[in-house]
Amino acid sequence: MTKPLNPFILADGTKPSCMEMLQLILDGEATAEQQVYFKAHMDHCLPCFKSYDLDTTIKELLKTRCCGDSVPNELVDQIKTQISKNLAL
Amino acid sequence: MEEAPKQSYSDQEKNDIFNNEFLPHIKSMYNFGFRLTFDQDDAKDLVQDTYLKAYRFIESFQKGTNAKAWLFRILKNSFINDYRKKTKEPSKVDYQEVETYYNSEDVDRQITPDLRVESLKDMIGDEISNALNSLDVDFRTVIILCDLEGFKYEEMAKILDIPIGTVRSRLHRARNLLKEKLSEYAKSMGYKNTEL
Ligand SMILES: [Zn+2]
Repeated sequence: MTKPLNPFILADGTKPSCMEMLQLILDGEATAEQQVYFKAHMDHCLPCFKSYDLDTTIKELLKTRCCGDSVPNELVDQIKTQISKNLAL
Repeated sequence: MEEAPKQSYSDQEKNDIFNNEFLPHIKSMYNFGFRLTFDQDDAKDLVQDTYLKAYRFIESFQKGTNAKAWLFRILKNSFINDYRKKTKEPSKVDYQEVETYYNSEDVDRQITPDLRVESLKDMIGDEISNALNSLDVDFRTVIILCDLEGFKYEEMAKILDIPIGTVRSRLHRARNLLKEKLSEYAKSMGYKNTEL
């Protein structure tokens, strides 16, 4: 049986590193084929296996912890007022 | 974002686009502004300025296309051209160095200290947010766009006017710096670098 071709290999033949593959997976930029390949790869690559969990956790934490600030109430009104003022000019 | 052929909208259409396609992004815009400037008033000014520009140039926006990316690009440009100039914050990052770093052979070398999922889960205060804020503005920006706002690489490239390859390398470097910061916090919380 021949080993399946690595679908991450670039057109010019460059083979991406583990971290580069992981980044594409993490950011939802990998194709379906690349996802399948990476899943299999992760089973026998300890650095990828460990980093996957860690990086996914960090990404989730960033999203939940850093997006919560509320917008000052008056901001939308100020913008709308400013626009109608400009229109009146 | 691409120079779309100029549209022609009635006043009613302009208001509809503004209210239904632009304003729903105000929370993300404000968060972006605040994380760039760390100041509520400056963030408000940036956001207001962005929306005024968006209205003024609304006919360069094609209805139904990616309003969020379009708005983020305007805000980013206002930040660089108006705010940064005003405050004269020097750009501290040498990108040449970043690119060389990324293309070097040992890119897979484990450069970040051991950081564990369990220690991250125990960071229930502002650690994550503070770690993000500690990054230089250009690294902070790619993390905000990618991880907080969920933009695709291609959208980020357009928002930032840089090639996709640079988006990827900058993101990679930014995440390593973030992990270094987080492991500092973990260490101060008493976690040891216990290697299995
Ligand atoms: Zn690997």
